[in-house]
Amino acid sequence: MSNFREKTVGWDWLTILIVALLVLMGIVNIYSAAFNPDRPFLFDLKTMYGKQIMWIGIGLFLGIVISLIDAEYIRKLTPAAFVTVVILLIVVLFTEPINGARSWLGIGPFGVQPSEFSKLTTALMLAYVISDNRGKLISKKSLTLALALVIGTMLLILIQNDTGTFLVFTAFFFVMYREGITFDPIILFFSNRVLGLRFKHTLVGIHFIPVLFVVIFLSIITLYFTESRHTFSFLPGYDAPGWMLLLIIITVLFSVSFFINQSFAAQRSKKKMRSAILIVYIVTVGLVGLISYTYLNVLQSHQKDRIDLWLGKIQDQDGKDYNRNRALAAVGSGGFSGVGYKEAILSSPRSQHVPESETDFIFSVYSEEWGFLGSASLVVLFTILLIRIIVIAERQKSRFARVYANSVAMIIFYHFGINVGMNIGIIPVIGIPLPFFSYGGSSMMSFLIMILILLKLDSQRKEVLA
Amino acid sequence: MNLENRRLVFILLFLFVGIIFTARLFYMQVADDKWIERAGEVAKKKITIKPPRGILYDRNGVKIVANKTYYNLMFIEDDIEDLDTLAFSKLIGISVDSIHQRFAEIRKELDRKTRSKTTGNDTVVNDYRTYLPNAFLKELSADEISNIAMDLSEFKGFYEEPMSMRDYPYPNGANIFGYLNEISGPELNSDRRFYRVGDFIGRSGLEKYYEYELRGKKGTKVILTSSRGKLVDNFAEGKLDTNAQQGPPLHLGIDIILQAYGEQLMKNKLGSVVAIEPSTGEILAMVSAPNYDPNLMVGSRNIRTNYMKLYKDSLKPFYPRPLAAEYPPGSIFKVVQALVGLQEGVITPDASFPCTKSWVGCHNHPPANSVAKAIQFSCNPYFYYEVKKIIQQGKHSSHFKDAAEGLALWEKYMNSFGFGIRPETDIFGLRNGVIPNVDFYNHWYGEYRWAFSTIRSNSIGQGEVKLTPLQMANLAAIVANDGYYYEPHLVKSIGKDGPQDKFKVKKQTMIDAKHFPVVKEGMRAAVNDPHGTARRARIKDIVVAGKTGTAQNPHGEDHSVFMAFAPLENPKIAIAVFVENAGFGGTWAAPIASLMMEKYLTGEISDSIKEKRILDQRFTNINE
Repeated sequence: MSNFREKTVGWDWLTILIVALLVLMGIVNIYSAAFNPDRPFLFDLKTMYGKQIMWIGIGLFLGIVISLIDAEYIRKLTPAAFVTVVILLIVVLFTEPINGARSWLGIGPFGVQPSEFSKLTTALMLAYVISDNRGKLISKKSLTLALALVIGTMLLILIQNDTGTFLVFTAFFFVMYREGITFDPIILFFSNRVLGLRFKHTLVGIHFIPVLFVVIFLSIITLYFTESRHTFSFLPGYDAPGWMLLLIIITVLFSVSFFINQSFAAQRSKKKMRSAILIVYIVTVGLVGLISYTYLNVLQSHQKDRIDLWLGKIQDQDGKDYNRNRALAAVGSGGFSGVGYKEAILSSPRSQHVPESETDFIFSVYSEEWGFLGSASLVVLFTILLIRIIVIAERQKSRFARVYANSVAMIIFYHFGINVGMNIGIIPVIGIPLPFFSYGGSSMMSFLIMILILLKLDSQRKEVLA
Repeated sequence: MNLENRRLVFILLFLFVGIIFTARLFYMQVADDKWIERAGEVAKKKITIKPPRGILYDRNGVKIVANKTYYNLMFIEDDIEDLDTLAFSKLIGISVDSIHQRFAEIRKELDRKTRSKTTGNDTVVNDYRTYLPNAFLKELSADEISNIAMDLSEFKGFYEEPMSMRDYPYPNGANIFGYLNEISGPELNSDRRFYRVGDFIGRSGLEKYYEYELRGKKGTKVILTSSRGKLVDNFAEGKLDTNAQQGPPLHLGIDIILQAYGEQLMKNKLGSVVAIEPSTGEILAMVSAPNYDPNLMVGSRNIRTNYMKLYKDSLKPFYPRPLAAEYPPGSIFKVVQALVGLQEGVITPDASFPCTKSWVGCHNHPPANSVAKAIQFSCNPYFYYEVKKIIQQGKHSSHFKDAAEGLALWEKYMNSFGFGIRPETDIFGLRNGVIPNVDFYNHWYGEYRWAFSTIRSNSIGQGEVKLTPLQMANLAAIVANDGYYYEPHLVKSIGKDGPQDKFKVKKQTMIDAKHFPVVKEGMRAAVNDPHGTARRARIKDIVVAGKTGTAQNPHGEDHSVFMAFAPLENPKIAIAVFVENAGFGGTWAAPIASLMMEKYLTGEISDSIKEKRILDQRFTNINE
């Protein structure tokens, strides 16, 4: 035990504080979102808030039990936990689907969603596989294994028809990027073997994940704005098309970076940067131009309608977009300081205008009742938590702990980004819980255990694990 | 390659998303009001509250059309829990089968046809919603509901809802008030902002004419509703709510006692009695016989059982005879012809024409050697010659052109009496009467192919001339007023507004006041002098002036007509009585008129034998 004390540098109190705060806010919010006037007692196990508190209790208990285990044992138990969850994921495929997804494993009145736990075990397993390698860079063998594990689990989730969790799994690619995964071999295969060029490495290949992210983001922005018209007071009688404005903005941004490079960059890298900026600029303009041209001139109107519907440019308020529309109305009607706790009009359990208001659309209840002050605070809280976890990740000496911590950050980020994004109408509706907020035992327990393992690993960071 | 710098990618990503989310939240929640409006659209609902209809009072302030509270037995299907149909059937007193039938019926009632814009085919859409209230039983009286209400709490999902319907303290005046019925599609479309399916709307009479006033103003209540349309809360503590306003009361010129008496006298007879106050044009009584008890047509339950019965009745109780039946006026029209002749100067008060009986028949009477005597004896040939002088004034060498010009002039006179023109009054369904004019005869015989001899029957109120009983009564009022009238109307004032402006307009006929004494003397004599035709119209101590008529009826027995006013000096009542198929005017119409006038002027009847003779007489079996 004395050994344990020496190696333990302590728990990260900021993370504990933020998570505790989030869990508390979550309970307060569920008490309003799922309030049952016949059962006002907070700990009534027949209500959602009672159950949620029970889940928190179980989650904390399990998490604390796990965190009593030495970090090294946690690492060693990882494969067993991973295999168990994978088996559960396969078992689940033989159950009756609920709401079109085979994700529930019911035991009596309670059910668990193995897919919720699979994020945790895959994060651990990814860390296990990558840290197996002792060198600074990842070996091809462990990289292949890591990719196989992640993609294999993703396929199981895809068969379950659980789009949300499937998307969350792409978070692991960011983590691999941090660990130096490169897609260069694939790019080089095409450029050198097929096209006969002679690249040693390409920027696109090395930074493939963030580049892909930027490309997707840019594409969506282009699709959103390309057809719109904008008028300016200094240009009366002329309305500029959106695609033209986008190209102007991109050109201005790149001109500025070009100028900064010319003026401030070190002489050594100036030339290289200049050509990089030029190439990226040409690629960007090409991308925007290609997407705009395709959207405006190639696509049929019904295809455009489908894209517009997906982007939320046109809304089928009382039909396909019913859920999103009601959630947006709830969020938007919160105003600056909200309508007041348990005073929600749209998202209250009595009026039921917002469906799934205790799970996927819990953010709309919170935003309606607490307004911009509340919702912005929650965004800030999550952002601080995420950055804090990255800070924790980067101070780890063991690769296992670092990879795991980065995975936790990215998983929470995906949940937060997708859930809040759909509640405020900038992402299509994808059913995925908001960590510590949404009602749901599996989700709550897996997030709590996830955080507690992280804290445990961090508390033993002075020890050099494998 | 420094991989540690890649953490910046994460941190920038988190910050980027955090900033975008915050900005978006600020825009949605603080900057843009769109979503607050949307929330209102989604959750706010306006409920309209129907006020009871305006009340009708008679000229003495007696309530004659009131409201009564009835109850609908409502239900919401979603709220019904394990309905014990047997117990329920015992409670509401209909069979178990009928209960199932009724549920099916309610669902079916809400079928609605819609036409597809693309294919043009009709498809049936059902508007029934299990979470919305529907009426299981409609229009239950207080007695009926009180039996049910006691045990209603045992049947979840059912509740009572009060509603207001008409109530008539007197079983009279149905033809005046009209009735209400559930609104039809076209009526609904005429005012979508006010009416809703199931509302009652005035279908005839005053209920229809004064629909806008009587319906009042609907109140609104803004509530918050759930996604299934259920009430959740009042909105803004009811600050946006408006109260329903009952329509203003209508004060009628009708004297309900006189009206009831008129209906009593006209029992078992076909015809009309119209009484007018000459100094105002207010209608004192407007009897249409046969009539029906207005309480028979209250609410859809009553209408369902009684409407077809009344509609199919061969005596047509729905037909408002006083205003819609156009009859040849018969001899009472001689009064008009005399006045026109005097005004035109084609005769003097002392003019004399021989009772030749060559062109038109007559009865035996002392010589008609003045206008007054001609009216007193109702001499047909006299008016034949007199009217000939009006029509054929000899201004043209062509006999035919002369007649056309004469008739055109005569038509102007008739129109100034309100005959053959559209009356500007508040009586729904009122007809204009028929005054044949130049075009009428040109169309019939061809231009310049007719002359006075062709149209001579009109001289004595036969032929093509037709008047409504209301116009006949107004003729009596014109004579009583020495040449002017106020448009006969039913409603004196709306609410506390006082007399309606449009009825204060004095309408002057083309006859100067100086010509009336002669005619009045004739009418006085017709009633009060030995050889008068209307001796049965006499009233003890009151001087009545009247003129009988016997309208020839090619389809059967002649119609008995009488018009009169009383007292002679400062007349208070002008009246016309028209009894179908009753023969000579002096025999039946005159005594009825006198009884009405006596009742109105003195409040009692001095000659009970005369009254009994009328009450016992039946004419309706003629057509049966």
